[in-house]
Amino acid sequence: MGMEQAWVLPAIPASLFVLIALFNGLMPRRGDFLAILGMLTVVALVFVIMVDFTQSFEGGLFSPGTANAYAFDWINIGEGFFFIEFSTYVDAITMVMLPVVTIVALMVLVYSTGYMHGEPRYGWYFAVLSLFVAAMLTLVISGNLIQLYLAWEGVGLASYLLIGFYWERQSAAEAAKKAFITTRVGDVGLLIGIILLWRATGTFDIQEIIAAATTGQIGETYLTVAMIFLFGGAIGKSAQFPLHVWLPDAMEGPTPVSALIHAATMVVAGVYLVARFSPVYAEVLIARDVILYIGLITAFMAATQGLVANDIKRVLAYSTVSQLGFMFVALGVGAVGAAMFHLFTHAFFKALLFLGSGSVIHATHHQEVEGLGGLRHKMPITTVTFIIGSLALAGIPIFAGFWSKDEILHYVSDDNAFVYVALAATALLTAIYTTRLVLLTFFGEPKDHHAYDHAHESGPAMAIPLLILAVLATVAGFFVFDQVGEALGFAGGIGYLVYIDHPHEFTTVDWAFAGTAAGTSLIGLIIGWAYWHGDAERARRARLWAPDMHAFLVNRWYMDNMYQAIINRVILGLAGAVAWFDKKIVNETGVDGGAQTVGYFGYRLKFLQTGKIPNYALGMAVGIVALTVVAISG
Amino acid sequence: MIPIENFLILSAILFAIGFYGVLARRSAILILMAVELMLAGVAINFIAFATYLDADAFSGLVFALFVITVAAAEVGLALGVVLRLFRERRTANVDEANSLKW
Repeated sequence: MGMEQAWVLPAIPASLFVLIALFNGLMPRRGDFLAILGMLTVVALVFVIMVDFTQSFEGGLFSPGTANAYAFDWINIGEGFFFIEFSTYVDAITMVMLPVVTIVALMVLVYSTGYMHGEPRYGWYFAVLSLFVAAMLTLVISGNLIQLYLAWEGVGLASYLLIGFYWERQSAAEAAKKAFITTRVGDVGLLIGIILLWRATGTFDIQEIIAAATTGQIGETYLTVAMIFLFGGAIGKSAQFPLHVWLPDAMEGPTPVSALIHAATMVVAGVYLVARFSPVYAEVLIARDVILYIGLITAFMAATQGLVANDIKRVLAYSTVSQLGFMFVALGVGAVGAAMFHLFTHAFFKALLFLGSGSVIHATHHQEVEGLGGLRHKMPITTVTFIIGSLALAGIPIFAGFWSKDEILHYVSDDNAFVYVALAATALLTAIYTTRLVLLTFFGEPKDHHAYDHAHESGPAMAIPLLILAVLATVAGFFVFDQVGEALGFAGGIGYLVYIDHPHEFTTVDWAFAGTAAGTSLIGLIIGWAYWHGDAERARRARLWAPDMHAFLVNRWYMDNMYQAIINRVILGLAGAVAWFDKKIVNETGVDGGAQTVGYFGYRLKFLQTGKIPNYALGMAVGIVALTVVAISG
Repeated sequence: MIPIENFLILSAILFAIGFYGVLARRSAILILMAVELMLAGVAINFIAFATYLDADAFSGLVFALFVITVAAAEVGLALGVVLRLFRERRTANVDEANSLKW
């Protein structure tokens, strides 16, 4: 069992999906243990593959420590003209994604046995989660773009099914629809990009396309356009501006789903895609700049919205969008290693934060921070793990988020001063809203005593994943050091794992720079404490001082209103025009008109049938004469 | 020999009179008589050509016999129909048998 058998990884959850979906009524506990066992197997196999990988890996994205395995050809038209196959490709990026996806999925599955206990459609929940994991694993190991696109749509489907899990609630059904349609808009761009690349290179295989692009076989303008379209898919799936509007609403789904799909795995599919093609993006710097600025706008915009959101999950959703923006900024300056590293750490601490919020929601049946407070007395484990996750998110040293965010800021500062300042400001905002969330939820006086009285610590099914993820959120950052990487069998730390041209020396951390980053986060913490501790007096006064700004942020910069206006006027208007065309021209003129013409002629002609025999005889005579004339003259 | 044109003109006149009769008569039986006239004209035409063009090939004469036979059968059937019509409508007037109309 090695990298060649990577296809086994998605096969296990895929078959479990079918089994659990069809037969969960017959299984004890509706099959949840089966999903967890399957996931454990997958995690074990990931480690086996990792061992195999470290033995042959030499570093970087072009290293020979990669395995390209074909399972079967699917479509072959014209002897290779149009050729789709099932292929897997395991390299450094895959090795970063695989532990992330599988470990977080395992934690979420275990957590769900506690959280979703007693919910309707319990078996279906585990089935769709298995489907999601299968699709996500296919995505990260796929070697060609068509397979990636299929898996891309697969994770979108699983996301739709899970966001709309409580479909009896109208808001959940609407949110699921919004998520799928918004990401679909991005997927159109992705498909166009795939087709453009195929037209230029004749193949769907990712490595062949990268080779063709980097050796200059594709025209520069053409390649730029194709890569921007490809990024369009990432914009949709990874909730970047302007297609970020679905992620906050996706919080309608169960919280473990939000932890897995909308924090750690699916939304990073876009980051994965761009990272995969980073050698190509290095050739078309215009496209890379597009990525940079969209990521920056998204990061800043979402951070401002997180400042005023009331629902715990909403704040975390905005935070996810913002951190994804960070990753795209890193990709936008060519720092693939930093982006993948931030993906790695973010997955753990964001999943931790979401599961912690789920713990709060499960205990208090409340989601608005306006109604919480003082929960640290009642829920100690949740409080401690949530604080660890928040410190990681805010970028406090030691915890994982600090190292990855510091790396991104480092790379950006080398490149572009304006972007660095904007990103540092966003990091400051991150620390501020994180502190706000923690203070309002766990500290201060309880605002809703009913909820407070109900609050209790969660059972072991929910607490153990929290603890494991808290440990990971603390230590995952140390992967930046080469000593840690070597201890695990790699050539070095993350810098030696994922790079394009040369490895980044992470061992010599620039302490002055790191100090600045840590200082920014601490300042954010202090500001947050100043405004929101106790009874948040300062925050209330600030809101009264700038009500319009507050409304602007609460209403998500009015982007949803803008989209609704576009839909109402442009799309529905266009639809009305097309409907008019269909009704008036196609239906009435074309179909009815044709029938009516025939009817009209029929009416006029029917009077020929008088029923009088002499008339018919005359007709025959005329016909005979005419035929004779024609016969003689012809 | 009598020139062939005389016979052909005779047959044409008979056919024409019969043709006119079919179109212009109201009584069904008169129409049938006119049809007989047309058939007679046609038969004379065939016999004339058979006799004058090739005396050994008498297919034209055989065809004239066929015409007579078929005419007899057809008139039998037609008179049956006319009788039926008469019993229903009490008239042999063809103008009044016009119920199969629009």
